[in-house]
Amino acid sequence: MDRSDAASPSGLVLERVRKEFPGGVVAVRDVSLNVEPGELVVLVGPSGCGKSTTLRMVAGLEAVTAGEVRIAGRLVTGLPPRHRNVAMVFQNYALYAHMTVRANIGFGLKMAGMPKREIRTRVNQAADILGITELLDRKPRQLSGGQRQRVAMGRAIVREPAAFLMDEPLSNLDAKLRVEMRAEITNIHRRIGAPTLYVTHDQTEAMTMGDRVAILRKGALEQIGTPLELYERPVNVFVAGFIGSPAMNLLPATLLSSGDAWYASVGGSRLLIPSKARAALQPFAGHDIVLGLRPEDFVSSEDLREGAHGVIQATVARAESLGSELLVYFTINGDTTTLPLTVRLDRRAAVQQGAPARIGVDLQRLYFFDPKTGAAIR
Amino acid sequence: MTSCRAAQLLRVVAITGIGLWSLAPIALGVATSLSTQADVQAVPARWLPRHAMLDAYRSLLGGTGDVRAGGSVSESGAFAHALWYSASVTLMSTLAILCVAISAGYAFARLRFPGRGALFWAIVATTVVPVFTVVIALFGLMADAHLIDRTLGLVLVFVSTTTPLTMWLVCNHVSELPAEPEEAALIDGCTRWQAFWHVVLPQMRSGIAALSAIVMLSVWGEFLIPLLLTSTSASKPVTVLIPEYVGKYTTNYPLLAAAGVLALLPPAVIALVLNRHIRGMLSGSF
Repeated sequence: MDRSDAASPSGLVLERVRKEFPGGVVAVRDVSLNVEPGELVVLVGPSGCGKSTTLRMVAGLEAVTAGEVRIAGRLVTGLPPRHRNVAMVFQNYALYAHMTVRANIGFGLKMAGMPKREIRTRVNQAADILGITELLDRKPRQLSGGQRQRVAMGRAIVREPAAFLMDEPLSNLDAKLRVEMRAEITNIHRRIGAPTLYVTHDQTEAMTMGDRVAILRKGALEQIGTPLELYERPVNVFVAGFIGSPAMNLLPATLLSSGDAWYASVGGSRLLIPSKARAALQPFAGHDIVLGLRPEDFVSSEDLREGAHGVIQATVARAESLGSELLVYFTINGDTTTLPLTVRLDRRAAVQQGAPARIGVDLQRLYFFDPKTGAAIR
Repeated sequence: MTSCRAAQLLRVVAITGIGLWSLAPIALGVATSLSTQADVQAVPARWLPRHAMLDAYRSLLGGTGDVRAGGSVSESGAFAHALWYSASVTLMSTLAILCVAISAGYAFARLRFPGRGALFWAIVATTVVPVFTVVIALFGLMADAHLIDRTLGLVLVFVSTTTPLTMWLVCNHVSELPAEPEEAALIDGCTRWQAFWHVVLPQMRSGIAALSAIVMLSVWGEFLIPLLLTSTSASKPVTVLIPEYVGKYTTNYPLLAAAGVLALLPPAVIALVLNRHIRGMLSGSF
């Protein structure tokens, strides 16, 4: 569903927003998206894809070359940051080093001319929500990374802005703290309810925190949808490879037909294509395609069921135990090339490095892509 | 182990050598200032005074003609006035230079406007022009503007000669500061000026302290420009006044040395107080 058509006037809306830097470098290409009140939309993509630039244009820190930005129904495209009523959390926290935590959190309110008594009350409330009351009289240099992150959050929520912007706010934290803060930010977001645009390069963050996830590549929006939509129905090879960890296996294959049966031939193996997929694949009969296989859609030879699973012959190159599961890196030996294949198996699966193996893949979970355009075939 | 000890010994010798080289003239100046003219002119040379006395300082600051100090060469209070005048010109110039350099350096570092690069390098390029090449034109200009023997004239020239380098240093310093706190301030409701005042300036505190010290030391020790632009004793700073104590036939060495020691004190205090910031700046970290 295209939700930009049904954009709420109190949300955050980007309409064909474009950013071109001097010298002709296009950082953002006509991006349109909307963030509803109470919704958290994650902008995700590789480094240099334009996600931070998009966020900065919403904040007013970068001028928009073309297009419109609306916040709470108000056109803010040409307004300076202070007139946009947004709050932003930066990757390196951007705290005011010379001020106490209390002054940091209350700075925006002070600039807005709020009476001191009210500032104090609201700062105390924000500190209470974030559990940093005992830190209010400290300076930022006396805080740990996690505490600084909370102060940055406090500075954002205390102003009760029309929209929240977060630019990789968890990148500087260690893995454990990141998981904690992920949950905390989600909880705070639910409590506050303002539309939130969250930028990250970490797809786990994107998938776990986002109500919807927008994937950017080279400044263009590739796909926007719920995390499950992106995982289940990627629109192209890029999204398919970007979402999921380990990444989807994207293998060159040939589409073969034998009577009523259609097969994808990959390496020396042939996988029976489900009948529901055949209509879309019709134009590619006898031609090359890109076959997508998620690592988690495989079973070991012991669990393999004829009919439900297709069989791939491969050799075990390496296996990594993650405790709860086993990541096995296979090589498929084709006639002319060797293809890598990453598979996630049950932790009890018996694999031996260098040994040939038969692995089963769920035939209902095959993805097909046009090798020329990269677009999904469905 | 042996090479480590040898390196340490070499370091001690080098530091002692540099220390002696730098401090010996000052020590000699202090010793001379506490001597009598007879002590100074004794043959063979006498490096330390027989009876240390402060007569030279009294003569210098009081302007009284004391025979033991070697006679009177200074008008009453002239040196004290020159010290005060040097201090006030230095403070006024430093303040003006910092105001202009910080504003301009910040603008060049953070703002984007047409001709920014060309204008910046045009200003910075003036630092390579030696002052002595423009003294005649400068004198003519100041005379036309009736700024000879005027504090304003000195301050204006110091500002124009020292600001480009200071601005360059400020620009580099601001470029190295993270932009995010400033951007956070803009989002928090600040105008550009408010963000500069509330967030950028406090971030620059250490850098400003170091620059203040460097500018003050440079202005305090300036000789050629004040020599050119001042002629009356009321408008002469200490650097121009001291050489006048060297007479054609005779020189009062204790008095001259005392003047040197007193003129040395303000910059020494500045250097000591702001030492930490200056070291930070020289190591590139402010």
